[in-house]
Amino acid sequence: MRTITKKPEVLAPAGTLEKLKIAIHYGADAVYIGGNAYGLRSRAGNFTYDEMREGVEFAKKHNAHVYVAANMVAHEGDVEGAGDFFRTLRDIGIRAVIVSDPALIEICAMEAPGLPIHLSTQASATNYETLNFWHEEGLERVVLAREVSMDEIAEIRQKTDVEIEAFIHGAMCISYSGRCTLSNHMSARDANRGGCSQSCRWKYDLFEMDELGGRQSLLDGGDELEDFSMSAVDMSMIHHIPDFVENGVDSLKIEGRMKSIHYVSTVTNVYRQVVDAYCEDPDHFEFKQEWEDELWKVAQRELATGFYYGTPTENQQLFGKRRKIPKYVFAGQVLDYDEETQIATIQQRNNFAVGDEVEFYGPGFTHIKQIVEQLWDEDDQPLNRARHPMMTIKMKVDTPVQPLNIMRKRK
Amino acid sequence: MIELIATAESIDQAKALVRTGVDTLYIGEDEFGLRLPASFSQQEIEEITKFAHTKQKQVCVAVNAIMHNDRIKKVIPYVQFLQQIGVDSITVGDPGVIHLLKKNDIKIPYIYDAHTLVTSANQVNFWAKRGATKAVLARELTFEELKIIASEVTIPIEILVYGATCIHQSKRPLVKNYFNFTEQHEQETKDLFISEVKKPDTHYSIYEDMNGTHVFATDDINLMPHLESLVHAGITQWKLDGIFTKGNHFVEIARLFVEAKTALQQGNWTNKVMEHLNSQLIDLHPNERTLSEGFFLKDPEDVK
Repeated sequence: MRTITKKPEVLAPAGTLEKLKIAIHYGADAVYIGGNAYGLRSRAGNFTYDEMREGVEFAKKHNAHVYVAANMVAHEGDVEGAGDFFRTLRDIGIRAVIVSDPALIEICAMEAPGLPIHLSTQASATNYETLNFWHEEGLERVVLAREVSMDEIAEIRQKTDVEIEAFIHGAMCISYSGRCTLSNHMSARDANRGGCSQSCRWKYDLFEMDELGGRQSLLDGGDELEDFSMSAVDMSMIHHIPDFVENGVDSLKIEGRMKSIHYVSTVTNVYRQVVDAYCEDPDHFEFKQEWEDELWKVAQRELATGFYYGTPTENQQLFGKRRKIPKYVFAGQVLDYDEETQIATIQQRNNFAVGDEVEFYGPGFTHIKQIVEQLWDEDDQPLNRARHPMMTIKMKVDTPVQPLNIMRKRK
Repeated sequence: MIELIATAESIDQAKALVRTGVDTLYIGEDEFGLRLPASFSQQEIEEITKFAHTKQKQVCVAVNAIMHNDRIKKVIPYVQFLQQIGVDSITVGDPGVIHLLKKNDIKIPYIYDAHTLVTSANQVNFWAKRGATKAVLARELTFEELKIIASEVTIPIEILVYGATCIHQSKRPLVKNYFNFTEQHEQETKDLFISEVKKPDTHYSIYEDMNGTHVFATDDINLMPHLESLVHAGITQWKLDGIFTKGNHFVEIARLFVEAKTALQQGNWTNKVMEHLNSQLIDLHPNERTLSEGFFLKDPEDVK
């Protein structure tokens, strides 16, 4: 029986220390985080050095890696202190940094030797010679542009020795990443320094203009006028993981350092399952619909395959009436379970009540459905509803659950 | 020494620009270059190059596309052709091309031009160490930043002094997708615009070609009033981009910059000269399009 020994890494986003631990607990081989500077998510939770230390220590215990994204396109003055930053990261035990600006790459290579560098998708690497260029510059890995197709990946793999990382799930820039300054011009916020105001998702008029400035709008769409928009649906490669594995992609990246614990745990859990199932017995691999169903529980937009199998048509843009995607919320996190009494101790994350149907899920793709029958507070006083954020409650759960299992509820 | 670099939309316009006194023509074909007023065949590029050289002028060819595998394969034959016909320089934005130039021992000088990604002296110097002879700076830089960059770079830097600023390149056919969704026939035109619903006065040019969809800033750049500041800062590589300024109007605008260059070099530059040239420029600029100095006068802190 064929098995695949060189499994690709499942790489998950982690906006906070808590998300880092959850992502690893739910099966991530590696996580990427942001530091306090040089990144692209100025409003995402970013890590202090102490938090990074704790994250690295946790990751090591679970044989996982931590990468730091430092992928801004720097202006004068922005790179001050970058040498110290990279050295500190290296000494903390960060496994690699994700960089796009050549000035930062140079500083990292000179001032923090031994800290591997990965080229960020912001640099739009789209061909094998570009990968060869960065490989010769000493980079360990290149994150491909999201515009690269699966056939192109196959050829790139044949013609390079550098590690390849590719996006498998999440939101997409509609432009070539790094080649969009809509936000700079429309909101005075630098898209390449963490300020992106997502102008591409706004509504626009589309018109012709004559030489005198007279405008003729081209908006159409029948009874309901459709605005022009540049908004992309999200990517999901859930049905195509075998293609990545067979083409020798080293790392499968999930987008979303701003995403919730519910999202990160769910998506990581699913892709962990798929990668393991395929690599264990690729010739008898069967896709399970429950994997896809699970992803829909945290989906924010429609899902499609981006550029992997052809140039995206209008069906991969957010036009027209949006399909209602059922929403689930993160209701609570299991702290403890007493098998004798069947009582779970749970930290509340969102309002839930007696009578609600909830679902517990955990690493290894375990799922348990339960109707909330009785609730108690910490002092064993009965409750109808768990109203207070982060309050500790107890409830009866018929099947054993584990600490760090997550309880979700349909909205 | 001030160098005026101008795009060209036809062989005739290229010749007129050379006669007008621009120093370098910037041309190319869509398969290798980005957002050019015209896509020239190799034969046309050869003809333009020969003509420019008879007038002791230079030709720079755009090889700055974001290359996918299919195109990176064609780069070396193309660049070898350019070298053979004596093209003076090329622009490059994809490090894969730089890798190939070195591997194939191509002698043609390259100018680093990755648009939005060139924002600091350290970046310019990084590419200089890897053979770049010049770099084109991002349009989102302020004069405060340009001055610092100019004082720290090891190779000349080029900026746009007249023309449109691209602010978005998507590989997706965004206009076609919209027309498909709304079941309209596709428009064969470069005169399409989008505007923000909340700012109806805006008018961002948008069009598609084989490199994807391109969106441009509402205002075209005009730095005529600031040329003296540029000279003082040592920024003397000036590009004029005629993608939305057609025919003779663009040639006439180029002539104004040639006059400005002469006045600046001969010490005849006065406020009055500048205002005279600038008012002619405003008259020649397409009516429906607007002009401004872009990010030039902005405070770097306000556009972070």
